[in-house]
Amino acid sequence: MDEREIRLRKSKRRLFIKTAIGTGIGLSLVSAFYVGASLRPRKEVTPEKEPLKPGDILVYAQGGGEPKPIRLEDLKPGDPFVLAYPMDPKTKVVKSGEAKNTVLVARYPLEALSPEVAQHAAEGVVAYSAVCTHLGCIVSQWVAEKKAALCPCHGGVFDLAQGARVIFGPPPRPIPQLPLQVENGVLVAAGEFLGEVGVKAQASSRCRV
Amino acid sequence: MYKWLDERLDLSGLYQKVLRKAFPVHHSFFLGEITLFAFIVLVLTGVFLTLNYEPSIREVKLPDGRTVPAAYASVLYIDSLPFGAVIRSLHHWSAHVMIAAAFLHMLRILLSGAYKKPREINYLVGLALLGLAVVTAFTGYALPYDNYAVTATRIGYGIAASIPWVGGAIAEVMFGGEFPGSERSIPRLYSLHVLWLPLLLMALIGLHLAVMIKQKHTQPRYAERVAPGKILGVPMYPQQMVMMVILFALYVGIMTMIAGAFLAHPVEAFGPPTPTTPAVKPDWYFLWLYGLLQIIPASWQFQLFGATVGPEFIGGVLIPGILGIVALLLPFVDTRKDKMRYLELPSEHPVRTSAILALLVFFLMSTLAGYKIDFQQQGSLLGNNAVLWTLVLGGPLLTFFLAYTLMRIFYGKKEEEKAL
Repeated sequence: MDEREIRLRKSKRRLFIKTAIGTGIGLSLVSAFYVGASLRPRKEVTPEKEPLKPGDILVYAQGGGEPKPIRLEDLKPGDPFVLAYPMDPKTKVVKSGEAKNTVLVARYPLEALSPEVAQHAAEGVVAYSAVCTHLGCIVSQWVAEKKAALCPCHGGVFDLAQGARVIFGPPPRPIPQLPLQVENGVLVAAGEFLGEVGVKAQASSRCRV
Repeated sequence: MYKWLDERLDLSGLYQKVLRKAFPVHHSFFLGEITLFAFIVLVLTGVFLTLNYEPSIREVKLPDGRTVPAAYASVLYIDSLPFGAVIRSLHHWSAHVMIAAAFLHMLRILLSGAYKKPREINYLVGLALLGLAVVTAFTGYALPYDNYAVTATRIGYGIAASIPWVGGAIAEVMFGGEFPGSERSIPRLYSLHVLWLPLLLMALIGLHLAVMIKQKHTQPRYAERVAPGKILGVPMYPQQMVMMVILFALYVGIMTMIAGAFLAHPVEAFGPPTPTTPAVKPDWYFLWLYGLLQIIPASWQFQLFGATVGPEFIGGVLIPGILGIVALLLPFVDTRKDKMRYLELPSEHPVRTSAILALLVFFLMSTLAGYKIDFQQQGSLLGNNAVLWTLVLGGPLLTFFLAYTLMRIFYGKKEEEKAL
C-alpha cells in the first residue's frame, strides 16, 4: 500500500461517499419491499366467491344447468355421498367460485351416527367440507364397503358416520362438519363449518395487509 | 470478407481461445448436451405455444356449446392447428427428457467424483439447474387448466401453504392468490413459466457453460493412459461441433417422431375442471414425492412456535429439502484429494458408489409407494403402509451393504495390488 492509498483511506471524502452510496442502496432496498408487497394479489370477493353462510341452500355441484336444491328424499342411507355448493337463498347465486365452499352430503341410518355427529345432522343426513385437510383436493370417492369417503389424491379415508374421523392415510385432521336442517324438504346449512376448512392456514396468512 | 471481419473483431483470436477448446470424447459426456438440446427445443416450441395460448380462466363458449375456461379452450385450439398437437407434445416430452437427462448427468458427476474441488461452483450451479427445471415443469402443469392440471396444481399449492410460518405468503405469491379460485393464478403461473424461470435457466446455463470452458472438462480415464499430463479431446470446432449438430438433429428427429405418435397430456380426455377430483398421478419425476406423501401417516405432526408441522410439510418439503441440502454440502464434506483432472472410477470408491445406488433404490421404492391406492384396491400386500415403509427404508440400506460387500470382493483386490 503506498502513501497515497493510506491517505485516501483516512480521508473524510471517501467515508462520505461510502456512506452516501450505502444509504442510497439501503433506502432503495427498503422501498423494494413495498413493491414486493404487490406480489401478493388483492383478494376480490364476488358474489359467487362469498363464504358459506347459515341459511344457504345446498344445491348439486354436478350436473350443470339450473341449480337444483338437494331434497331430503333424494338421499337414501347407504348411497354414495353427493357434492354440493351453497346457494344464497335470496339472490339465488351459487357460491361455486370458492373451492372451500364444496360440501359433501351423505345419508346414514340414524343409529349408525355417533351422538356428536347426530346433533348436527338432519334426519340422518350429514354434511362435511369436501376439501381434504391434507393437501386441499376434493374428497370425491365413495368407499362402499366401509361407507366412508376417500380422497383420491393421497388416499385419505374419512368415516363420515363418526365425525369424519381419519381411518386411513395421511390427512392430519378430520374434515369439519356442517350443521344441517331441513326446510320445505330441502337441505339448508344451519350454521358455519365446525372447524377450519382445507389445509391449515399458517400464521402469516391470517395477518394480511 | 473473413479478413475484413478478422481485422475488426479479431476472429482468429477467438478461434484460438474458444473454438479450439478440447472436448473429451466419452459417451457419458453427452448427457449434459442432451439436456441443453431439450432446453433449446423447449424454448422454441414454447414460443410457438405462447402465440395461441390464452392465460385466463374467464369462461368462453366452445363451438359445441360447452362453457369452459379460456385457457382450456385455447389449448384445444392449439391441438386443432396443423402440427399444433405435435408441437405441444414435443414441448411436453422434451420437458421429461430435460429432467431425465439432467438427473443422469448429475449421476455421472456424482459417480465419477467430478463435483470435487475445483468444480464445486459448477456442481452447485448444476444442482440449481435441476431444481429450477423441475419447478419450471411444475409451473407448466396448471396452464392447460383441465381437471388433471387443476388437481396437480392444487396439491402443489397445499404443499407450499404447509410450510410453517411463511407458507401462506409463499403460496400466494407463487400461485397469485388462493388456488384454485383466484383469477390471478393462471397469469401468475404463466409469467413464471414463460418468462422468469426460463430467463433464470438461461442465465444459469450460460454460467454453467462458461465455468466449464474456463475450468476445462474432467478427463476420462483413458486420457491418462494415452497422454499422461496432457488435455485430451477433440477441438470444439469443427469436430465437436459436427457431433453436436448430428446429436441435435437426432434429438429433434426422434422426439418429433415420438410426439407425433404419442399425444402428451390429452386435455380433451381429462376434460375441463369439475367439482370432483379425478384419481390421477403426477409425472414420473414427482411420483417419489407423491409416494412419500401417501405413506407418511397423519400422526406425524407437532406444534413448533405456534405453527403446525404436519405430514404434508414433512413429505412435500422437508424430505426433498434434506436431500437437497445433503447434495449441496457434498463437495465440501468429501474433500479427499484424487488427481483432480481425471474422472474417478466408481469401482474405486465403493462407499460413494453404494450410497448413490442406495439413493436410486430409495427413489424407486418411494415411486412404488405412489401406487399405494391401486395396490390397496387390488388387495395386494403392497397396499400395506408397513410393507411400503420397509421397502422405502430397508431397500436402500440393503442395497448399500450388498453393493459395498460385492464391490469389496470384486474390486478390493485390485486396489491392494495397486498399493503394492
